[in-house]
Formats: sequence, C-alpha cells, structure tokens
Amino acid sequence: MDKAEQILKALGGAGNIVEIEPCATRLRTEVHDAALVDEKALKAAGAFGVISAGQVVQVVVGPEADTIATDIEDLM
Amino acid sequence: MLSLRRSTLKYLQVRDYLRSLVVSELRPGDPVPSERMLCERFAVSRMTVRQAVDALVVEGVLERVQGRGTFVAPPKVDLQVRLASFTEEMTRRGMTAGVKVLASELVRAEPDIAEALKVAPGEQLVHLHRLRYADDEPMAVEHTWLPADRLPGFLDGGTPDSVYVELDARGLIPDWGEDTIDAGEADHEEAKLLMIKPGKPVLRISRRAFTGDSAIEYSRSAFRSDRYTLWVPVARPQPAVVPRKRTEETGAAAPGATT
Repeated sequence: MDKAEQILKALGGAGNIVEIEPCATRLRTEVHDAALVDEKALKAAGAFGVISAGQVVQVVVGPEADTIATDIEDLM
Repeated sequence: MLSLRRSTLKYLQVRDYLRSLVVSELRPGDPVPSERMLCERFAVSRMTVRQAVDALVVEGVLERVQGRGTFVAPPKVDLQVRLASFTEEMTRRGMTAGVKVLASELVRAEPDIAEALKVAPGEQLVHLHRLRYADDEPMAVEHTWLPADRLPGFLDGGTPDSVYVELDARGLIPDWGEDTIDAGEADHEEAKLLMIKPGKPVLRISRRAFTGDSAIEYSRSAFRSDRYTLWVPVARPQPAVVPRKRTEETGAAAPGATT
C-alpha cells in the first residue's frame, strides 16, 4: 500500500471522508465519524503529527500534501 | 453631548495630524511637536492633545521617553514566516543580528520535546539557549533542541555561530517545517533578558523543522511584540478533495470520470 492508500484507510476509508483540503504541510480533513480515525495508523503511514478537533482531523504530512491529496482523490 | 463630540473630533484631528507627520516628514527617533504647540495650532486643551498622543503611543507609532519627551517610535520588524534562520531574517530586514549564548549543552529529551523531534524520551539532545539581538537590542529569547545522535560532535568546536550553517555543512539543512504562533506574556526571566517589563506581551513561536522525513530542529522563541510583526501571505486554498458520488451498481461511469 502506498502512502495515500494508508492515510485514506487510517482516516476511516473513502466512505468516512467529507472532504480533504491540502493546506501547505497538512491535509485538513473533515470526516463523518471521528471515532473511525486511527491516529497510530496515520503516524505509521508517515504522518508527522495529527491534530484533531471534532470532525476535523489535520494530518501533518509535509510539503507533499498537494500530491498526497491528489493521490487520495484518485482513490476515492 | 455636542461638546463631547466636538472634543472627540478635535482629538481625532490632532491624532491624524501627528500620524501624517510621522508618515511624511519625521523619521524614527525624531521628536514630535510639543504639547504646547499642538494646543495652539488646534486650539484645544492639553488634555485633548495628550489623548491623541496616548492613542499613538498605544499603537506603537510614538514612544514617550521619561524626562525627554515624545518621539517617533522605531519601526517594527515585519517578517514573513519562512524557513530561514534568525540571522538571515534580520539581514533581509536590514538589521544586524546578534546573539548571546546563555547555555549550550547536551540534555536528555523531556517527553514534549521528544514528541516534537520524534525521538524516544530520554534520548540525548543538543540544547541551545540564546538571546537574539537585532541592531544591538534584544529581540527574542530562544531555546533550540536538536537530536544529538544525528549530529555527532555538534558542540565540539564550541557553540556554532549559526545552527543552520552548521546543519548545511552536514547536508542536513531543513527544507520544510511548521511554526506555531501564540500570544503570551513575558515571564520574569524572559522580561529581564528582553529588557521589558514582566507581563508585557510576547509572540511565542515554536518551530518544528524537518530535513526530508526527519525532524532536525525544535525551537521555542519569545519575541518582543513591540519590535516584531509577523507577515503572513494568504491565498485562496486549492479546492478540497471530496469523494465522488458513486453510481449505484449500474455499471455506468461516474460523472466526469475519464479513462
């Protein structure tokens, strides 16, 4: 599994995503159910940090954020 | 009510006049016209003039020097958030950077620092505590931590003049990072070092800097808010990525799908 696939899976899969917005070094993600987000799996996928508030999960992925978001879009 | 409104207007007139003087004619450090002169010129009371001057002092446009008068305040340093060293930033702003090393040592990683640098708690870190100057005046107090195992002999030649130059020499110059910025109050130690009163506002900037996938630097700085303005360029974000509406079991391609 590549990074985009691992991140999407750790976010609870395509069905759990409302939207993902690449913001410079982060993927700002809105999810349907925050309980389905697996923070450990996100870090195992290479995330440098995870910041959660309610239904919004920000995944720090570094300057690749745009590329990863595009890759995730292809998977959805 | 009418007289109150009139004095408010007068105060605004004096304030705007002083502001335009600062912009057009005066330079930092120049004295502003005396209270007496302003009273005469605008036919207002000394209290109204003081009110106008106070407003500009609070804004940081003017400064009062005890026993000497009121002067045009030095400009704040305006900085874009970017991954550059303090020295590089000050040079770009036309100021001369200076540094005083307060501590330079190997320490064991506390849990919060370890988390930021993605190392195990207790691992060895290089720790630098530095007071940063711009044009010979204190600008910021800074703590920096770096993972010691990736930087063998980092302190062997004494404290490096520049961490980023030293990292560059080792092929480890950070290429991206994140700054987190909070407003805060200077504690007693910071206030003493920054030569401001305790409780005065500071800008707290913590930085995690990475070389590729590895965290290489974590720092916490307190900048004097009277000397430092942060400039953040903003642009509309790219459109968000949303899941496609899946067509249910019909075998038809999703709208907009391409082969």
